[in-house]
Amino acid sequence: MALMPFRTHVMRLVAQCGNYCTLQRSMAYKSAISLETLYPNSTLKLSTPSFTPNPNEKFSGFIPLNKLEIQYSASSGPGGQHVNKVHTKVDLRFKLSEADWIPAEIRDKMIELHSNKLTKEGYLVIRSDATRTQQLNLADCLQKLRNMIRDAAVTKREPSPETEEMIRQRHLKASRLRVAMKREEALKRAERRAPTVVDL
Amino acid sequence: MGSRQITEKSLVMLRSLPRLSLANIRDNPGSKKNTKRGRGQHGGDKHGAGNKGSGQRQNYMRLGYETGNNPFYLRMPHEPYYKGHHHRREYPPISLLEIQKLIDTDLIDITQPIDIASIVKSGLYNFFPDKKHFGINLTDEGVDSFAAKINIEVQWASEQVIAAIEKNGGVITTAYYDPHSLFLLKNPKKFFESGQAIPRRMIPPADVIEYYTSAETRGYLADPEKISQERFRLSQKYGYELPNIENDQCYTMLCERKDPRQIFHGLEPGWVVNLKDKCILKPKDDELLQFYAS
Repeated sequence: MALMPFRTHVMRLVAQCGNYCTLQRSMAYKSAISLETLYPNSTLKLSTPSFTPNPNEKFSGFIPLNKLEIQYSASSGPGGQHVNKVHTKVDLRFKLSEADWIPAEIRDKMIELHSNKLTKEGYLVIRSDATRTQQLNLADCLQKLRNMIRDAAVTKREPSPETEEMIRQRHLKASRLRVAMKREEALKRAERRAPTVVDL
Repeated sequence: MGSRQITEKSLVMLRSLPRLSLANIRDNPGSKKNTKRGRGQHGGDKHGAGNKGSGQRQNYMRLGYETGNNPFYLRMPHEPYYKGHHHRREYPPISLLEIQKLIDTDLIDITQPIDIASIVKSGLYNFFPDKKHFGINLTDEGVDSFAAKINIEVQWASEQVIAAIEKNGGVITTAYYDPHSLFLLKNPKKFFESGQAIPRRMIPPADVIEYYTSAETRGYLADPEKISQERFRLSQKYGYELPNIENDQCYTMLCERKDPRQIFHGLEPGWVVNLKDKCILKPKDDELLQFYAS
């Protein structure tokens, strides 16, 4: 071959694109900024992690999707042929009483809160057709479900004895002021009337 | 003149000059200014304000006013519509629907990792690196109907697009290519015919390095372990069962990635590809090898 860069030496290699990747795998190119150098303690492998719930949290946000029944249908509203043909509305339902993935107290609270919204068979139904894509509508339904669960998980903190005492004192003070005002007004009205003469 | 000679000369001068007195010294120029008295012949009468006009009446014209003609500061309008446009990067879009079409019509081979070179080779997408185009922006049109398991590398992708690809068991990576590398990728044959050594890919600029280092955006510089966690989080957010890619038969192909300094799959920086003689020339010199591996 004619002109070669003056410092490179020729190394004839039969390089066929098909076999190339397999040849190079064992001695693949690694630069100074390769992932091995950037993350030396990592396995650098893509995996499917299994979920481990946090023991401190009552509800971690994890929803097992195989326990939910999801149906798709056509959305309502304007849009012509597109809105008629594409099933972007998402209908998500599950039996609330049999949902063992929700902690028991939260489940009971939810049944209490949404008892009027459950169907005859006891299904909680969440629907969404807010966006133009099925993907986002499904995400919306799941968000709504998580919000419902988190609202049911909220427990009001009981006020401390000091706070209770403070509230009681406030009530008493208000009563005292009210009665004092009442007495003042009574006195004012009495002074405007003719004096009651008491014959001793 | 040496310093000793200077001192000698000064002393000689000092002996011959007259004695220093108030009569032969004066202040430094500009140190004393004459105070203007507003009384008497010179300071009185009009008190430095002249005759009539805005000067005497303290009714001055605004700064920049040029007695009616279009003033200098208004002659050139300020219309900053394209200010800094040459600093902004553009990512010409291609939708998931188009990618699906390319796959269905066999213009793209999904048994191999897909990158910008394969998409440009299909003929249905083009970009111009000299016009500040920095790569592919994968848009979410066709996100509901996408059904292909691919290992794709783009330059910009939104969360929904990432979710759609991962739902089908695929892998998406966002990677940065500097303009020179993009020219190479757009037309590799032309570059190989030029006989130059393959250069190293440069690292992303400061304002976008965070994008390419974060696992949320599937950056090529992010930790794959964190990416796995993000995959799981996204599956919970968008409501799909995360497919087990470790048990997939194409797992090695799906996990195949280019090194951050690599431009072409299977070709290292520093190599010279000779298409005519169908061979590759590799550098042997230590300095060169060190440079291309840095």
